[in-house]
Amino acid sequence: MRDMSGKVAYIRFIFIFLSFLLIAMFLIDLLSGSVHIDLSEAFGSLLLGKTNDNGLILTQFRLPKAITAVIAGAAIACSGLVMQTVFRNPLAGPDVLGVSSGAGLGVALMILTVTPFIHTGNASWLQGWGLILAAWIGAGGVMFLIMTVSSRMRDIMTVLIIGILIASAISSVVSVMQYFSNETMLKTYVVWTMGNIGNLSPSQVKVLAISSAAGLLLALLEIKPLNAILMGETFARTVGVNIKLSRILIFASASILAGSVTAFCGPVAFIGIAVPHIARLLTGSSDHRILLPASLLTGSITLLISDIISNIPISGSVLPINTVTSLIGIPVILWIIIGKKGIKKTF
Amino acid sequence: MSLYEEIVITRDLTIGYSDRQGSIKVMSDINVSACRGELVALIGRNGSGKSTLLRSIVSLQNPLSGEVYINNCPLFQIPKTELTKTISFTSTEPIDIHNIRVSEAVASGRYPYTNWLGTLSDEDRQKTEEALTLTGLIRLQNRKIYSLSDGERQRVLIARSLAQDTELLVMDEPTAYLDLPSRYSIVSLLRKLSHEKNKCIIFSTHDLDTALNEADKIWLMKSEKICQGAPEDLVINKSLSQAFEDPFLSFSTTTGTFSLKRNPVGTVSLEGTGQLRRWTERALNRIDFKIDPSSKIVVYTELSGENALWHVQINANEEKTFRTLYDLVNYLAILIPADV
Repeated sequence: MRDMSGKVAYIRFIFIFLSFLLIAMFLIDLLSGSVHIDLSEAFGSLLLGKTNDNGLILTQFRLPKAITAVIAGAAIACSGLVMQTVFRNPLAGPDVLGVSSGAGLGVALMILTVTPFIHTGNASWLQGWGLILAAWIGAGGVMFLIMTVSSRMRDIMTVLIIGILIASAISSVVSVMQYFSNETMLKTYVVWTMGNIGNLSPSQVKVLAISSAAGLLLALLEIKPLNAILMGETFARTVGVNIKLSRILIFASASILAGSVTAFCGPVAFIGIAVPHIARLLTGSSDHRILLPASLLTGSITLLISDIISNIPISGSVLPINTVTSLIGIPVILWIIIGKKGIKKTF
Repeated sequence: MSLYEEIVITRDLTIGYSDRQGSIKVMSDINVSACRGELVALIGRNGSGKSTLLRSIVSLQNPLSGEVYINNCPLFQIPKTELTKTISFTSTEPIDIHNIRVSEAVASGRYPYTNWLGTLSDEDRQKTEEALTLTGLIRLQNRKIYSLSDGERQRVLIARSLAQDTELLVMDEPTAYLDLPSRYSIVSLLRKLSHEKNKCIIFSTHDLDTALNEADKIWLMKSEKICQGAPEDLVINKSLSQAFEDPFLSFSTTTGTFSLKRNPVGTVSLEGTGQLRRWTERALNRIDFKIDPSSKIVVYTELSGENALWHVQINANEEKTFRTLYDLVNYLAILIPADV
């Protein structure tokens, strides 16, 4: 159609810009940290396989961490985007609606109650697929609950408040569990709640990558229904969307993505709500063919930047990544609510 | 080929809602039809079940009993993929998206025809452009929807439904919340589309005026049953006046309009001719005066040059003259308590 070529060129520019930014942030993330590593050293150890102390830090610690940031950022952003569309709620996201809490409950059950009774021989399985499975079940359970409620009550605020209530209820349950668990387990759990993308073993990174890919694939297959659902549910039904099936697939996708990330990185706050809005703002589009990839890129970049900021040495220690993502995400959310004069006008 | 190419036929249809507690019947014995190239207006009072009927016809909800036939095939037997290319439905649901352009919204009507990603083919683009042209939106196609007026937004919904390229277009209240000129422009657009593009368009409305003036056929929902016919048929056989029967409302079979029923507070004898007389009579009716030649109050209208004058004579000796109907009406209204 006429006059659309300018828009296409603009979108292309945005994607090229985001890709460059992603690569740049990935490199900066590799180089930043308490031990100084310069670019030539990094290339040496990554590409030529030179093994010295700094090379080990790079390949064993920083590279898995940067890869985790890329995967987790993309996954949590995608989860937020599809939830916002299906709930038709610009403030939906895995953390706000209690889905991350649900995943957390799964993790807490695993860490605080199941793990102590299992022999050490099975521990590696438990820290990989076992943990993630528990998180999926927890996330999926909350998602199902919210889905049931929202099919009866359409009001944005009601659904949000119920999400918040579910999150509080879960945190109370977890508190009770903490009270009865031993010291080592408690510490493991508390450290987990602070959010950490640097603690994953290579095999855990692999599990995260595989499960996130599965969740992303589901979301990818639902791009067309998502576009129709955004126009309105009645419309979607009359043009042939199987609403029930689409909802189940989309919620499965969001639960898998949010659950996987939460299992390994802890509750990553506010990225899920904020990133899709940044993507909308950048692309000026509501088409998921554009929004989904833009959210993935923006999510990865945002988490990389958060990690870089959290690594700036302040009095010798690093900040938990959760605090940084909150500091980035909350202003965006405030801007949605206050700056746009009403949360309904932001899609 | 028969004279009537019926696209929609309902047979003994009962519509309503059912849930675990049982079913609530909204209306039964619905036997109506709509043909190709016909604009059908569904009218009825609030809560009479207009939306329920439309949703039953487009298969968004199941009828309690009876059958809807589309092109002589029972609705439930038509595969979903084919149905989306045969019937389009525009509900009252607005497009509530900030970042969407007119052309994108209209192109979304091509959903049943596009691939898994929703990529538009050349045919999809051409159909979208055609729909934009027919609805007069082509110049607005790159505008964002939120920047449009209510009437233009309604056109977008109609264009989207046209882009879906179906023989039957069903619309729930396309003229709701629109002002009078927009209402007329939307309904005459629907009329043009049904006649020129040979589509069957069924729309529900509260707006009797436009429906009676523009529709080829009326489906009229009365309290217990539904009847159909040309608008004029329904006036002549009194179905219309019965459907909207109300202690406060009367239907004039001469003008085809409704007015409030009121008890007269006084009588006036009116002398005059033409337009001036007609509007004077209206003003008097508005303040509940009945025209009665034997009344003691006599009002004459007089046209002196460009100016109209009204003379009021009470008991043949007292006369007053007014330059506007506003003053006349206020004077008469004060007279009433004095019981002339």
